[in-house]
Amino acid sequence: MGMEGDFFQLLKERGYQFSAPASASEAQGVGTAEITKGTTILAMKYRDGVLVAGDRRATAGNMVMYDRTDKVLEIDRHSVMAIAGVPATAYEMVRILEHSFKYYRRTQLQELSFEGKLRAVAKLLKDNVAAALAGTGAVVPVFAGYDFEQGAAKIYFYDILGAEFEGVEYAVSGSGSPTIRGILHYLNTWSDRPLSALPEEDAIIQALRLLTSAAEFDSATGGVNRDSNLYPVIKLITQDGIQTTPVQQLQSLFEAKVARHV
Amino acid sequence: MFEEPYRWVEAVGNRRQYLDEQFQQGSPVVALSYADGILLLTVSRGTPKLYEIYDRIALGGMGHPADLEKLRFNLLEMAHVEGFNRSPSDVTGSRMVKYGLAPVIKQAFEEVYKAPFIVKILLAELGTKPERDAFLTINYDGTFEESKGCAAIASTPMIQTEVIGSLRKDPGLAAASLGQAAEAALQAWAIGALAQRAEKEDTEDRKERSSPSSASSPDAMVIERHLRETLADKTIECAVLERSAPGSSKYRALKLQEINQLFPKQSLTRLS
Repeated sequence: MGMEGDFFQLLKERGYQFSAPASASEAQGVGTAEITKGTTILAMKYRDGVLVAGDRRATAGNMVMYDRTDKVLEIDRHSVMAIAGVPATAYEMVRILEHSFKYYRRTQLQELSFEGKLRAVAKLLKDNVAAALAGTGAVVPVFAGYDFEQGAAKIYFYDILGAEFEGVEYAVSGSGSPTIRGILHYLNTWSDRPLSALPEEDAIIQALRLLTSAAEFDSATGGVNRDSNLYPVIKLITQDGIQTTPVQQLQSLFEAKVARHV
Repeated sequence: MFEEPYRWVEAVGNRRQYLDEQFQQGSPVVALSYADGILLLTVSRGTPKLYEIYDRIALGGMGHPADLEKLRFNLLEMAHVEGFNRSPSDVTGSRMVKYGLAPVIKQAFEEVYKAPFIVKILLAELGTKPERDAFLTINYDGTFEESKGCAAIASTPMIQTEVIGSLRKDPGLAAASLGQAAEAALQAWAIGALAQRAEKEDTEDRKERSSPSSASSPDAMVIERHLRETLADKTIECAVLERSAPGSSKYRALKLQEINQLFPKQSLTRLS
């Protein structure tokens, strides 16, 4: 019985299988099947915490599946996972993590440590390696949250095998990420102040500009669509919790600080 | 051998008596709906008695801590597996009690060669709308009751009724602030605790007295004094399910500081 407070283990005991091991023959067929994928996601430190942003497009091959995807998902009051890769697997991971963190807190009567949360993400990715390599379930997430022990908001990114890296200033993932990685490096190094010194509003403006640039060069990344009132999802993590930037604010910042330059 | 069924009935009777005695010293748990959600309150010595079960479900317990832990884990497992496999809105207090908890408690109670669970449990469930708030109480024999507005567990059903009666006297509680609700809950708790003490004294000198003492509801002075005495070595424990809390988890245990603010009179007496 649950001294460990491990929800993932509990699920397995109840016969749940997270990631189907892909056999060689299944994997061969995959090359031709078109799997839903995305994406540009980014996380960066700013003055008060961490900003996490993601575009809204999901694609399968060269088809746009959906233009209102939410890729920046709240796992609990202080952590967010932004997802790139196969959404089916990614959403399942988020559901497992959400329940795992809650289950741990409710059984053990204390919050799972930030390190514990990072391990939980890595463990899921590791269990998913077979599907990731077969091409049916690759997920490359960015995890960000507030670490109460250290008193700071932090960013971590992963490879598909589950290796975990800290993004000291920022992290990016998804097909549009190469475009903005360079911009982030440039901004952080040679603009008048580093990203981590930006006030909230400036950080949001930069995020909108970065995602707009990614959409410019990557067909799988959705840009802003003003006609249908479609904006990226931007969430801010601070000590007080997670705050989703309202669409009205994105709209006015985009009009004033992003659109006129395009 | 044909005597067995009669012995079983007798054994169950003995068990009832044994269990009733176990709860005499326990601390009642009170829960009620107020303007912003549901408040749970008890007074405890160290070990917590109020817990978070799921996004909108809280538990208050009386009895043996180890038994309570075991059943709490059962509930947590049930709720989280169900919430994951189906959806969080499919996790309801009523289903967990009817199909999960009550049968387990009843079976343990009736298997006279094994130990019963020494527990009474209260589940409070925050509805999507105030009128959907629900309360469930389960007795040590697996019988359960559903109620609206408020609920309580105490050593006997009679005392439970008395506690609930004191809460129902004020029809304005459903729209009360947290402070007012907390005050009412503490008063109701004290009425229950006093009734339990009277009941215990009654059982102890039943030989001398032929009829039970006519227990009229205690006046404010008596309640005040009782609270002062009790809170010298015990602490008030409060938890809320807040309808407007951000995110999916609505449960929050109140911190000591908040509790002191809610009960300025009691915190002053404790400091002096």
